[in-house]
Amino acid sequence: MNSLADNTIMLKVKAGDLDKMGLLFERYHRPLYGFLFHMTYQRETSEDLVQQVFYKMLKYRETFTATGEFVHWMYSIARNTLKDQGKSLKQRVKHENTDDHTERLSGGLTPEEQLEKKQAKLGLYKAMEKLSDSHREVLTLSKFQELKYQEIAHILDISEIAVKTRAHRAMQELKSIYEKAER
Amino acid sequence: MKCEQYEGLFAGWINNELKPAERETLEQHLNGCAACREELASMQQLWAMMDEVEVPEPSASMKTDFTAMLNDFKATEANKKGSSAGIRQQLGWLLQWRQKWPLAYTFAIILVSFGCGYLFFNLKGGSKQDKQMADLTTQVHELKQTMALALLENPSASERIRGVSYTTEIKHADKEVIDALLATLNNDPNVNVRLSTLDALTHLAGHPEVRLGLVQSITTQDSPLMQSAIADVMLKLQEKSSVKSFKELLKQKDLDHGVRDKIKETITQLI
Ligand SMILES: [Zn+2]
Repeated sequence: MNSLADNTIMLKVKAGDLDKMGLLFERYHRPLYGFLFHMTYQRETSEDLVQQVFYKMLKYRETFTATGEFVHWMYSIARNTLKDQGKSLKQRVKHENTDDHTERLSGGLTPEEQLEKKQAKLGLYKAMEKLSDSHREVLTLSKFQELKYQEIAHILDISEIAVKTRAHRAMQELKSIYEKAER
Repeated sequence: MKCEQYEGLFAGWINNELKPAERETLEQHLNGCAACREELASMQQLWAMMDEVEVPEPSASMKTDFTAMLNDFKATEANKKGSSAGIRQQLGWLLQWRQKWPLAYTFAIILVSFGCGYLFFNLKGGSKQDKQMADLTTQVHELKQTMALALLENPSASERIRGVSYTTEIKHADKEVIDALLATLNNDPNVNVRLSTLDALTHLAGHPEVRLGLVQSITTQDSPLMQSAIADVMLKLQEKSSVKSFKELLKQKDLDHGVRDKIKETITQLI
């Protein structure tokens, strides 16, 4: 497990060894980028937000207490950063990279199969975009960040039951958006 | 049991998180309920399909950007230490003192107060002394401000609250103080710290940037306590520009019911 080491590293950062943040960057900039990408669907913004999150973790390093996991703290800060950006993100240009993103489908399928798979994938991608932010957030954290519901409960500061209910509602919403579009 | 009561288990099922007993409960229900079987199957299928959703690669410049940011940050930190480390260190001593020897601390404060008073009466007079007095006042002010800012960065929530309350004693809060308070309002993990920060900022509402910061903060707060406290403040300040942000907040589906009512009420009173 990384978790013990994560906390140890962050405590070193807190104690003043700021360079150690580089290790945490190596470990987490990709997953963090993935989360932020699903929340914004903008590449450049997501990269910029990753930097902001790491900057805030440096600046507010004193608030890290190691009573919880480093990643939970990191995602909490990421959520706050997203909220700070909320207004400008509302005017986001959607579908920024839907197209080239679906180009990279693997071979080995007939052209028809490829097309069908491509369309299904694109449909799901677009359906995810249409989800409400809080639904997309819970699905992103559980599916893509592979966090357990209990961990998500820590990050969102709600009960585990509330997380499960929200995840279920989110899947229902996703299903209905997806099926509507496919029909 | 009704079907809805199994909903929480659905989420655990697709994520493979169910405990054996929970799994059994759900399976028992599924055996007798075709609707749930169908629903769960399609959910599971969609969940599996999500594996295919890709995230584009972040660009290679991220690492360089990070390193640049880190170096920048280290430089500013070193600077901060250079200019105010002395005074901050002394304050740290004083604060430690207060914890270890509260009585001695009190005496020290009394002594300092007497000293100031003595200086005040003795310096009362010539214009040159007036200037010295003014300088002294400025210094005391700066000291208070440095102390407040240092406390705001303290890991203990109660110390941060103390820092917030010190800022209310500063007569002319400058940009540094306002920025620090707004950052605390939006980022402090402790709701009590955020609440007292809101209170302190309310006293500074004469500054346009404070009002703007408060309005912007409306949509970033997710604690019902804070949401309702900000509504009170906006009403008190009669800040009409907050209506837009409140309407934005109402769009959040998981907004607390009590807060929702309160915000609707606030909007009506502001318009
Ligand atoms: Zn059923």
